Amino acid sequence: MDVPYDKGLSRRNLLKLAGIAGVAVQAGALVVAGKQEGKSSESYTGWESFHPGTQFFDRKPFEFEGPSHAPVGEVRRPSHHTDYVFQRVGSFEQAYRKHPGWTLEDPIENLELIPELEAFYKEFPERLEWDFKTFSETIPNNREDSAKYNNYYLLAEAYEAGFSAHSRFLRGPTDPPEKSDFPGRDMMGRPPRNPVPFRTPDLASEFVKEIAHRYGATLAGITKTNPNWLYSEGWRGCPQDYDFSVMPAHWENAIVIGVPMEWDVVLSNPQFGTSNDAYDRVTTAALRLEGMIKFLGYPVRSHTPLTDYDLLVPPHAVEAGLGEIGRTGFCITPEAGGNCRMAVITTNLPMTMDKPIDYGVARFCNKCKLCAESCPSGAISMADSPDGLVIRGYEHWYINNGACYNYWRETMGPMGCRLCVATCPYSRKDNWLHDLARKIDPRDPTGAVSSGLLQIQKRLFPYPAASEYHRPPQGRFASFRPEPPYLEVDKYLDIAVTKPGK
Amino acid sequence: MFFNSGIFWFLMGILFVLVVAGFRACAKDRRWEISWWKAALGILWYCLFMLTFYAWGTLIGENEGVAGFRILILGLFICLVSGVCLWRWMAAKRRIG
Repeated sequence: MDVPYDKGLSRRNLLKLAGIAGVAVQAGALVVAGKQEGKSSESYTGWESFHPGTQFFDRKPFEFEGPSHAPVGEVRRPSHHTDYVFQRVGSFEQAYRKHPGWTLEDPIENLELIPELEAFYKEFPERLEWDFKTFSETIPNNREDSAKYNNYYLLAEAYEAGFSAHSRFLRGPTDPPEKSDFPGRDMMGRPPRNPVPFRTPDLASEFVKEIAHRYGATLAGITKTNPNWLYSEGWRGCPQDYDFSVMPAHWENAIVIGVPMEWDVVLSNPQFGTSNDAYDRVTTAALRLEGMIKFLGYPVRSHTPLTDYDLLVPPHAVEAGLGEIGRTGFCITPEAGGNCRMAVITTNLPMTMDKPIDYGVARFCNKCKLCAESCPSGAISMADSPDGLVIRGYEHWYINNGACYNYWRETMGPMGCRLCVATCPYSRKDNWLHDLARKIDPRDPTGAVSSGLLQIQKRLFPYPAASEYHRPPQGRFASFRPEPPYLEVDKYLDIAVTKPGK
Repeated sequence: MFFNSGIFWFLMGILFVLVVAGFRACAKDRRWEISWWKAALGILWYCLFMLTFYAWGTLIGENEGVAGFRILILGLFICLVSGVCLWRWMAAKRRIG
């Protein structure tokens, strides 16, 4: 049939057709663009550059005059022997090996523990039960599981081994602070210079933070060192009769730096993840800063994951404005959430202090509980708020580090869990989707945005049940998300692999 | 990468102008009276519609495909309901007398 010329596609119909085509093309293009954005290397906060731009959250609107932590009771400084879980379980292990037949029914005195630890276990008997379970049950079971399944996690362990390389030859201070922290002669044999003055404390602070980023720190903040948060004994390089009651005067300022663990690996916790990637990087950055400040003539000591700590890090990080304490007990930062491994550099270099921030974490943690619900060992408090939970004189969430460590020793792959880091809704990469939440939520005084986002998180994102993370038959050694492609054993290695649950 | 580049967003802007022109042609055909605030609501709806696809893609990109798909379905459902309401409202004639 002939179509008359004047009945052809009119200009208006052409526009309508073009508009419809435009909608389809835009929708398709945005899916592809979103996919690129989601996996963009620029979204890997802390793993994308050594530039101050990694600390991208504008903290100014959320700053307040500190302190963020005020004691509510009698303050007791933390003890290496009891509160520091690795030393405590190490001491227990030694005692248990000497008395392998000991059970919870026997008197604790039979273990011949140091008096501080014996008193601690009497005060917190549930910690004794967990530490006993770790060595009497969990570790022997783990040996069996490892023999069966370990090949499946071999590349994850190899990846971790590489990041552990520095720890073999790094060592912390070997002399007391009065000696080891002060600059000595340099490689050319020149005597140390007197402290070089900065024009202003503001500029000193600006310079130190700028260089901290250049040295590899993703986040950097500065605060006063709080003597209440120093360990009560056992500072590195100090003899047992050292006076630990007084903080060395040159520790007065604390530079706190943080580096996230790799984002794809962190989501594959608890079985495939490692802390050592960030431990290595944050230690390196801290030691570089220590070297630089010493070069300028100031006494300095770094407290890092690979060379150990003489103080507690999270409360200092909070006072330095890096974030807020969450239900998990660590500092939740706006840029990286809980995915942030930290180090502290104490010095007397005069600097301007940063202010703590309130961007809504405390209120969010009260209602979220995703970390506690996912925690395989139940170590994280399920309380509705930290009110009344007083530990060593400060009110904060209760973490049973004995239960936590027990699950560490149950996991496959590199030791540890970090599931609370992976499940935390704040631990997300830097792309438009999460940045939208980062920008809107802290500015919403009603809390409606965070409640809505929490519902999306809980209902639309898959969260395995806590029991699935356990060993078979109770669980299936689940991971929060699958391992990243570069840790897939089947893909790269020519070995027999038994996967749990198969 | 083309999909992260300025050129990509420039082309998206051109496409958006085309979509608006198509919508105007459609509105004229139907003799809708589009005031500025109706137009603003329409643009807002369209942005929400497109963001749903963008969010889906982003979540696929960060290996959260399951959540991405659920968010796509939820977003499309919200867009469908709000879109029908908006359409009927735009089509409504002002009553006289």
